[in-house]
Amino acid sequence: MVLVETAGLTKVFGDVRAVDDLTVKIPDGAIGLVGPNGAGKTTFLRLLLGLLQPTAGTAKVLGRDIGDGVPVRERIGYMPEHDCLIPDMTGVGLVSYMGRISGLDRDTAMSRSHDVLQFVGVEEERYRKIAEYSTGMKQKIKLAQSMVHDPQLYIFDEPTTGLDPRGRTEMLDLVRTIAKSPGRNVLLSSHLLPDVETICKYVVILDGGHQIAAGELSQLLTGSTDRLRIDVRGDQAAFARLLKEAGFEADAGATGLHVARKPGLESAVFETAKVLGAEVRYMGKEIRSLEELFLELVARTEKRGA
Amino acid sequence: MSISLPTYKRLELPLLGRRERVRAIIATGLKKEFRRPAAIVVTAIGAAFTTITSIVLLFFAPLFIPGQASDLSFFAVPASNGFVLFFVSLMAAVIGAGLIADDMQSMAFTLYLSRPITQTDYLLAKAAILAPLVSMVTIVPLLLTALVAALLRLVSWTIAVEAMGISLVIGGLLTLFYTAITLFLSSLTRRKGIAAAGVFAVNFGLTLPATVLANQIQNPSILYASPWNDYLAVASAGFGAAGAGIDWPAALAILLGATVLAALLTYVRMKAVEVITG
Repeated sequence: MVLVETAGLTKVFGDVRAVDDLTVKIPDGAIGLVGPNGAGKTTFLRLLLGLLQPTAGTAKVLGRDIGDGVPVRERIGYMPEHDCLIPDMTGVGLVSYMGRISGLDRDTAMSRSHDVLQFVGVEEERYRKIAEYSTGMKQKIKLAQSMVHDPQLYIFDEPTTGLDPRGRTEMLDLVRTIAKSPGRNVLLSSHLLPDVETICKYVVILDGGHQIAAGELSQLLTGSTDRLRIDVRGDQAAFARLLKEAGFEADAGATGLHVARKPGLESAVFETAKVLGAEVRYMGKEIRSLEELFLELVARTEKRGA
Repeated sequence: MSISLPTYKRLELPLLGRRERVRAIIATGLKKEFRRPAAIVVTAIGAAFTTITSIVLLFFAPLFIPGQASDLSFFAVPASNGFVLFFVSLMAAVIGAGLIADDMQSMAFTLYLSRPITQTDYLLAKAAILAPLVSMVTIVPLLLTALVAALLRLVSWTIAVEAMGISLVIGGLLTLFYTAITLFLSSLTRRKGIAAAGVFAVNFGLTLPATVLANQIQNPSILYASPWNDYLAVASAGFGAAGAGIDWPAALAILLGATVLAALLTYVRMKAVEVITG
């Protein structure tokens, strides 16, 4: 099943192209949407929810055009990034209220509210007013209200924002549990790449409103089997230059040296190290963290832009 | 903390329609207002005071207006009760000013719009919360006054029923006007105090200067600028009483036009707000 499909999706605010000609096909499951601040993640999510009208292009969520609005939102649970709770309502009151606005009858909304509040761990405080809640509890209420109508797709926009390490771990555990349960899909937007790395199997990386990479996380991180990553203690730029002079395709970046595999590479590397007096600390398959991949892709995009 | 899903299974339940969702917003909104002491006090005092003064005015109408016949025009007196203006402003300010402004302040507006409802549903629900409360001052006192007049045999039942019908229409017009204007003002700001001040400014800031100026320069057409005087012109015409110095069709057009314009502007504003809150 395709979760989200867009074709030339564009959203312009004045002179700013927040989402620029975005064409993606996102499969079901746990999907990460990553990018630096201002990459267009929130705008993209708001377009999917039908809260914004695209300037150009089309998008489908769960097979429905985003222009349909209401039927699309019936199938989505949205947890916004910013504070958005009604302070003078109780936790259970707000969650059941949101359930009723989603179309649940009063009894079902109330019963589901208790279920989801238990799930997120706000059982004891459910009758307290939200104004009295801590940041962590507010985040959990935001999560609970997105779950109450049991949607097919959960959109979490920076769910760990403002949480301490313990709260962050708890929130990630909850999101992971939802993502693993059958019939539910998660679109997790975050600039905290380790969060995405631990939960998602597929990522879409945005920068400047463009998609700069998309695919299975394992494949993206493994990269090409025809390339090696070399960590060098010493002058990396000189190391890369010497390798290039020796006829190898080498790039020095923030994540080390990346060199195309060719016969004689290993001996050339050690020869270069000897010449420069550098120390080769790692040489192996190009396995990166999401952060490394992200930095590399952003740097590449910036280079192209320049 | 529980992070398992012991009782929570994904079930495809048929969802209720949009009408039920809007009803949920209205019911919750009204319940919330009836829990607020300020809203309860203003509504209770407003309804009681305007009703009592309207009935008193009815009794003393022959004294205030010598030769006042006990016919339909009798009811133009309670309809022009100045306490309606005061309490409608107070209710709109206390109850209506925060209806949208509070949601924008807390950013709950995003939460509403991420649900399967439209901006129109949201606005209709907010209007349906405010309108019945405003009508406690604009319609209910007039209906009760006509009822009391008939029970005390000040007028015949035929005239009383006719007066009730006209009161419903005229009071309804005033209710719609204040609902639309208040929601528009509430949508313009995140601070309900500013919206509340705006309601008073629209009422007294237009009515008092317009009345004083019209008298000073002897030009009644200035009264068109005052919604209250427009209402008085329509109410007088409705009850067949002497005019308030301005033509009622023009006054009616101004009141209706302002109501429709305020509603449209509120809708446009709401469409724009979600872009800003992102």
